[in-house]
Amino acid sequence: MKVLSIAFNTFRENLRDKLLYNLLIFALLMIGSSLILMRLTLGEFHRLILDIGLGSINFFGVLIAIFVGIGLVSKEIEKKTIYTIISKPVARFQFLLGKYVGLSLTLLINTAIMACGLLAVLYMQDVPIHAVLFKALIMIVVEFMVITAVALLFSTFSSATFSAIFTLALYVIGHLTPDLKAFGEKMGGLGKTILEGMYYVLPNLDRFNLKGHVTHQLDVPTGDLLVIGAYGLAYTAFLLTLASVIFQRRDFR
Amino acid sequence: MSRLSPLAIHPHASSKEPILAWTAVTVIALSLLTLVTLLQRNLDLRIDAHAAKIEELAQLPRGEHLKPALLGYHHLGADVVWLRLLQVVGKKTNTAGEYEWLYHALDVVTTLDPQYAYAYYVGGVVLTNYANRVDLSNRLLEKGHRENPGEWNLPFLLGYNHYFILGNAPKGAVYIAQAARTAGAPDFLPGLATRMHAEAGNPDVALQFLEALWKENPDLVVREKLETRAKEVIIERDLRLLEQAIGLYQKKYHASPKALTELVSTGYLSRIPEEPFGGSYELNTQTGQVTSSTHPTRLKVFRLDLENAS
Repeated sequence: MKVLSIAFNTFRENLRDKLLYNLLIFALLMIGSSLILMRLTLGEFHRLILDIGLGSINFFGVLIAIFVGIGLVSKEIEKKTIYTIISKPVARFQFLLGKYVGLSLTLLINTAIMACGLLAVLYMQDVPIHAVLFKALIMIVVEFMVITAVALLFSTFSSATFSAIFTLALYVIGHLTPDLKAFGEKMGGLGKTILEGMYYVLPNLDRFNLKGHVTHQLDVPTGDLLVIGAYGLAYTAFLLTLASVIFQRRDFR
Repeated sequence: MSRLSPLAIHPHASSKEPILAWTAVTVIALSLLTLVTLLQRNLDLRIDAHAAKIEELAQLPRGEHLKPALLGYHHLGADVVWLRLLQVVGKKTNTAGEYEWLYHALDVVTTLDPQYAYAYYVGGVVLTNYANRVDLSNRLLEKGHRENPGEWNLPFLLGYNHYFILGNAPKGAVYIAQAARTAGAPDFLPGLATRMHAEAGNPDVALQFLEALWKENPDLVVREKLETRAKEVIIERDLRLLEQAIGLYQKKYHASPKALTELVSTGYLSRIPEEPFGGSYELNTQTGQVTSSTHPTRLKVFRLDLENAS
């Protein structure tokens, strides 16, 4: 209950954030711009709408997750509003979880709005819509959930600016981890152990990327989808636990 | 009255001031915008005058390096490179170097998105028919065929390249057979593949092949090339017909005919075929060989096959 009321409060607070609307409008503009770019291409113009559409949803969602996520805790500390909450009978982890659920809800609704924009464009252009599109959208939301958790984790112990830099860095690294494994295999010995350890500890964000499947209408087996989803949720839980531990020990002065 | 603000007391002075200020700001902003545009245009002329768009393609990093840098947006990256290279191909003629860069850009696009079958196909057609670079065309198509075994038109185009351009009829037939086995291949392909295996050097088979390719390609330049090639094959067919008639004539009269019209008057031919390019067929009375006035050398693909047969 406490978690939910914090979550709804966070959601309402997010709705007042101008950044959110700017990014949302920009994403919708990008999706719409595919209609113009489509005229420049040759052959498969459906492909361009899907690539730009899903790319925009993914990219702007990540920006929202990072730039709203980093302020979740650090803003409360800066404005000293945290005291009013901490002094109430609310466990610190409940506060964090509430904040997290609130932003996740915001992102879910945002993604739904952007997806509606994309679906409208696809419908207008008579592009056949396949089930894999929705699977890809769900996986994009799971990616947002992981990134929000990363942003929240950093925002429990550092300032907003640093959190943004760290989270962006982890987003980039998250898409490059397959290289870590590949390098490790070439090195062997201790190097291999270290790199493989890093590979498993860092999030592999490429797993959530099904945009190419939508472009080429390749179906993803439900089993794979469930494992990917479970991976995302488990990683999120791990990050939130870590964040709770750090936040629990933090002294606000 | 004394409570009224100064605005109400001097309405004229106060309303004029903001209008003046706004006009001044607008004028300044507009003139600055004009200045920026002019400077940008000047820079375009100074710096970009010699750098044509196509040269930018050469500076694309290799697909293998670009892909990880795109952080999962590599399909979109492939679209962007594709859009840029389309603007280049839109030009009618390009230099040999420009086609090398075009190949490089196509390689980047297809490394970013190996399933982009359309890019392989268009690239293959352009590199063969516009650039006369069948080597690059084959390299691209082989890559596409490897990555997309379910696409029939990639081995189909490879078959065309080997059969007509490289003059390797047996290898061409192998590719056509591969294309024919692919799901979704058109109905005529298995028949064509069988005939190519059995009689790869038969001009009728070649014409059937060209007709199939013609139907696949709406592009006018490509169609023009295919029509020219079809006419060349028709010459080969006519030459064979004439040679056959001369052979029969020689068997009976133990001498070569003095002119081609003699074949008609003796009844070996119903008429002399028309040369498709508007020239004529000429008989060398010494050797008994017939040649076309517009295309004196014969098609490589059929000669090679004749050599294999003999």
